[in-house]
Amino acid sequence: MEVLVSLKIVPDDQDIQTTADGKLDFSIAKPVISSYDQNAIEAAAQIEGANVSAITVGPASINDTKQRKNILARGPKQLFMVADDTFQDADANVTAKAIVAGAQKAGNFDLIVFGAGSADTYAQQVGIQVGELLGWPVVNGVSKITAGEGSITVERTTETEVQTIDVPLPAVVAVTSDIVEPRIPSMRDILKAGKLPVTEWTAADLGSDTTKAIDIIETVAPAPADRKREVFDASVDGDIDKFAAALAEALR
Amino acid sequence: MDFSLTDEQELLVDSVNEFADRYFDEEKINAWYDQHGLPESVSRAYLDAGFGYMGIPEEYGGVPCDKVTLGVLTEAVGHATGAVMPFLNNTLAMVDMLDMGNEDQVKMCLDAYEHTGHPIFSLGFSEPAAGSDNAAMTSVTREQADGSFILSGQKTWVTEGEKLPYCLIVAKEEDPDRKNRDMTMWLVPMNLDGIKTAPLVKIGQTIMPFCELYLDNVKLTPDMLVGERKAGFMNMMKNFEMERALIVAQGLGMAQAAMDDAAAYATERITFGMPIARQEMIMYHLTEMEAKLQNTRSLLYKVLWMMDQGKSTQMESALLKYYGAKACTEVASDALQIYAGLGYTTETRLGRIWKDLRGNQIAGGTDEIMVYICGRQLAKRYARK
Ligand SMILES: Cc1cc2nc3c(=O)[nH]c(=O)nc-3n(C[C@H](O)[C@H](O)[C@H](O)COP(=O)(O)OP(=O)(O)OC[C@H]3O[C@@H](n4cnc5c(N)ncnc54)[C@H](O)[C@@H]3O)c2cc1C
Repeated sequence: MEVLVSLKIVPDDQDIQTTADGKLDFSIAKPVISSYDQNAIEAAAQIEGANVSAITVGPASINDTKQRKNILARGPKQLFMVADDTFQDADANVTAKAIVAGAQKAGNFDLIVFGAGSADTYAQQVGIQVGELLGWPVVNGVSKITAGEGSITVERTTETEVQTIDVPLPAVVAVTSDIVEPRIPSMRDILKAGKLPVTEWTAADLGSDTTKAIDIIETVAPAPADRKREVFDASVDGDIDKFAAALAEALR
Repeated sequence: MDFSLTDEQELLVDSVNEFADRYFDEEKINAWYDQHGLPESVSRAYLDAGFGYMGIPEEYGGVPCDKVTLGVLTEAVGHATGAVMPFLNNTLAMVDMLDMGNEDQVKMCLDAYEHTGHPIFSLGFSEPAAGSDNAAMTSVTREQADGSFILSGQKTWVTEGEKLPYCLIVAKEEDPDRKNRDMTMWLVPMNLDGIKTAPLVKIGQTIMPFCELYLDNVKLTPDMLVGERKAGFMNMMKNFEMERALIVAQGLGMAQAAMDDAAAYATERITFGMPIARQEMIMYHLTEMEAKLQNTRSLLYKVLWMMDQGKSTQMESALLKYYGAKACTEVASDALQIYAGLGYTTETRLGRIWKDLRGNQIAGGTDEIMVYICGRQLAKRYARK
């Protein structure tokens, strides 16, 4: 089974700083694999008989030698790297179109695997849109994948039940963040990763439509609110009610 | 000159951190210190994650890597755990055996290592009256008419001596006299008649206890010989330089963990209306600590790099052990000072780190012995030609 796992490279959120005017400063945040996508890579790698490739789309800065090896140390046998500043702040639709174009250029895939959402925007949109563009069935919230003949069986764990669904291939799935624990790459994996093939494409190579439907005007952190310093005293009659009312008001 | 780690080394550090996140936390680490060891599941996991195979040649299923990378691994484990872990000793023991053992011994050791994640032997070199001065050892073997050897004597401070099934013992042949340099190395099963141990209580590094080892007419057979007869002293010294460098690498990681804690705390602890990080004396502590960490790191990787280049590090490795072991203890001590009253409790890990690091100024050769090695070399190096 030819499997393509789609992943996003994002700035390490631990190192994103907020400047005095509320802007986000990414200057020291190194590129990393979006955490939920690590589960997707592992889930793809664990599908029996799967031959796994990986694809990622983003601005030129994602083409980082360390992250290339990081991806390839986790199971995929090759990587398609679509790194072009056209994809800076690309919305879900632009990204989905690029992934579809990339997937079609890269080969014939039976299954495309996504994570639950990206670690930065977590819109949970790209997988669904890729399925739609390709006209393939899409199942998200997948907590287990079992390979079959021309199909896969997946499980979705909802609050009340476990749904078992047979999905004909080709198909798109988005997996939960706890489907499997991502592997810890060993030195052997890491050394091998440097020898695996990476295909680099620009937006022009793909020729996909890059017109954004969404323009980001500004990203600002919410201003920290001052503490109200309201103190209620449980021993004072009626204060508990006042406390409950204040809480309800604040939540409204 | 390039001070950066390679992508591969950075990814290795990421993997170590991920491993540490999954398997270690302070509560577990403290419990393992109290229980005097790691659970086998953790040692095995370390091996399964591939770290334990690093530095072992490919033909033995290992992942060969340069010494710089082995240093990066060791520092990262120390940093991620803030604790002494037996992994470093395990790797060193395996490398010793690969260097010196015969085919059967190597196979026996590797099989056991693969199975348990532990080496099978401890090191019995030091004696009550022969620590720095190994040549003063009095353990002795006497060859018997039937080709066997009878071993008598006493070893001490044998790390993991009561846990591991064999001990790599160096003893003199025939004559215990100071002048006799005919020392031979043996891989001795601990279940032989005449072997007794007694625990010694360490003040730190209690995750790896050491013990006394009494050898009373123990019958050895020639298959237990390791390396050439009478080459025991040379063999004992063989991997010392690497061992010293890696002891410092581990200590450096732990000292860095102490720095992480203390420097962050200094920005949070308020006295006299401001964070103590803005008090000049605390700035001085932090500056001294950072200077020591960076100096130790520079020297460490320079020495490992020199080893990788095949250069002699006789002087530099002693210089590193001398400077680094002491500097790391001082960093931990200053970190504890910054935490003050809290630092002197078991609520933080600083006391543990400090006690552990103090031991590194003795284990693998004392500070003074490092000065002795270094000083002799320095006199030669700087003498007018
Ligand atoms: C944590 C730990 C683990 C250990 N694990 C092992 C182990 O697994 N196996 C093993 O065999 N041993 C082990 N040892 C023992 C260790 O190798 C010795 O303690 C060390 O070599 C010093 O020997 P000593 O204690 O007899 O001190 P001594 O040699 O008696 O030294 C006493 C003091 O005199 C100084 N001194 C001695 N000679 C000189 C000199 N020529 N010039 C200047 N100063 C000198 C020393 O530096 C020291 O300060 C371990 C020790 C520690 C602390």
